Amino acid sequence: MIQKILYNFKKYKFLLQQLVSRDFKVKYKRSVLGILWSLLYPILMMAVLAIVFTNVFKFSTPGVNYLVYLIIGLVIFNYFSEASNLAMSSIVSNFSLINKVYMPKYVFPLSKCLFVGINFLLTLIPLYVVIIVSGTELNIYHLLLPYVFICLFMFTLGMGLLLATISVFLRDMFYIYGIIQTMWLYLTPVMYDISMIPENFQTLFKLNPLYQFINFARSIILYKNIPTIGQWAGCGVSAVVVLIFGIYIFRKKQDKFIYYV
Amino acid sequence: MKKETMIKINDVSMRFNLGIEKEFSLKQWFVNIFNPRKFKKEKQEFWALKNINFEIKTGEVIGFIGSNGAGKSTLLKIVAGVMKPTKGSIETYGNICPMIELGAGFDMQLTARENIYLNGAILGYSKDLLDSKFDEIIAFSELEEFLDVPVQNFSSGMIARLAFSIATIVDPEILIVDEILAVGDIAFQAKSEAKMMEMITGGTTVLYVSHSLEAIKKLCSKVVWLEKGNIKEIGNTKDICDKYENYTIKHMAGNYDI
Repeated sequence: MIQKILYNFKKYKFLLQQLVSRDFKVKYKRSVLGILWSLLYPILMMAVLAIVFTNVFKFSTPGVNYLVYLIIGLVIFNYFSEASNLAMSSIVSNFSLINKVYMPKYVFPLSKCLFVGINFLLTLIPLYVVIIVSGTELNIYHLLLPYVFICLFMFTLGMGLLLATISVFLRDMFYIYGIIQTMWLYLTPVMYDISMIPENFQTLFKLNPLYQFINFARSIILYKNIPTIGQWAGCGVSAVVVLIFGIYIFRKKQDKFIYYV
Repeated sequence: MKKETMIKINDVSMRFNLGIEKEFSLKQWFVNIFNPRKFKKEKQEFWALKNINFEIKTGEVIGFIGSNGAGKSTLLKIVAGVMKPTKGSIETYGNICPMIELGAGFDMQLTARENIYLNGAILGYSKDLLDSKFDEIIAFSELEEFLDVPVQNFSSGMIARLAFSIATIVDPEILIVDEILAVGDIAFQAKSEAKMMEMITGGTTVLYVSHSLEAIKKLCSKVVWLEKGNIKEIGNTKDICDKYENYTIKHMAGNYDI
């Protein structure tokens, strides 16, 4: 079974690579600055948000730099939001292919999560520039961050597979998910701190996997702590559970996709 | 040549739900909840294939004939692995080259060069194969000058030439052909037809759908006649083709009162 999965994965690695590079080429083909936008875009977005939140709304977080605090949350949330959205529509928008050629269908959501993942890694560059410029000291625990990035990827892929499956059978999902995402953004302590939530609701907020990921990253970057066992487990468990659930549903339903073309 | 089974089709049935389109939106879903009678009506079923059984051996060229909607293309898609049958199973022994729809997966914004790799990957070719056959693809398609031009600036004939050249570089053990593809201008049509004939007659196992009885008679060693999802006749090419011809003529006469 595992051997078969590995064999298949090896066989379709080239396809995956081609799909990801296609997304890159198409995204930047017609723009003058090209791939530079991958860096420029998040920098400019961060600049706008920084001005709005620090000068207009005057948000702050005691003891740590609010801008860094905000950007960590946004970078993680944006990865999830963009990748899960693209993964959701990847099956429906590739129906013409799925209908004609045999290939494992999971390559489409997976390639989208990888494509946005590469963009995510590029946005870490402006994030680190902000961290250094703001005077937040770096520490050795930064080396633990890949753990949370992998968890975030697994969680997003799981959600992407799940959403892609649902959207095949219920096209309304594209609209519904747009609304869910907006709610999700405001219910995740991205722009505000969890201490601003009434205490009896805090536990509920902590069940949000995205909060777990953001909190893990903030602990390391801003508070310079090794995350607690609870934080490690919170990230790992939510990632694994959602990924397995997504794979399970996707595999169970993928042979029916063809009827809903 | 040793005759081994290449494809085994075991009791394959394929069902489509005809009314499926109406279940797409939430609004319809709510309407249906309050109207159970209508909900039932929409689940109309259509059996595109019913209990199909046969075997194909190495080197056989099997022709599929039958009127539109008889289930020929559905059967080919099931053999190609694009669809899973509702009932029954398919066993295939060997790599399959489905020449069903060429150029699937071309990205119009990418150049010919980029599309060769993308389309090749979609067809399941490896990078090594594409690297080694790259020049051959270009030479066959005669598009050397346009290698770095986005495909959206190509004429449809040029796109078809490129697609054909990519699809035919492999030596498949099982070749699935939905009509002989003669693409491009007259010169290229002759060339592509010759290439397809070469692939079909080259000793591989071929599943070949066509409405041209001439071509079927010329190429096939055995014919399967499908009608409304059932195998009506299976056997020797000449016999089945003659029967099919008579049947169609009779049918046409009935319809048009000739």
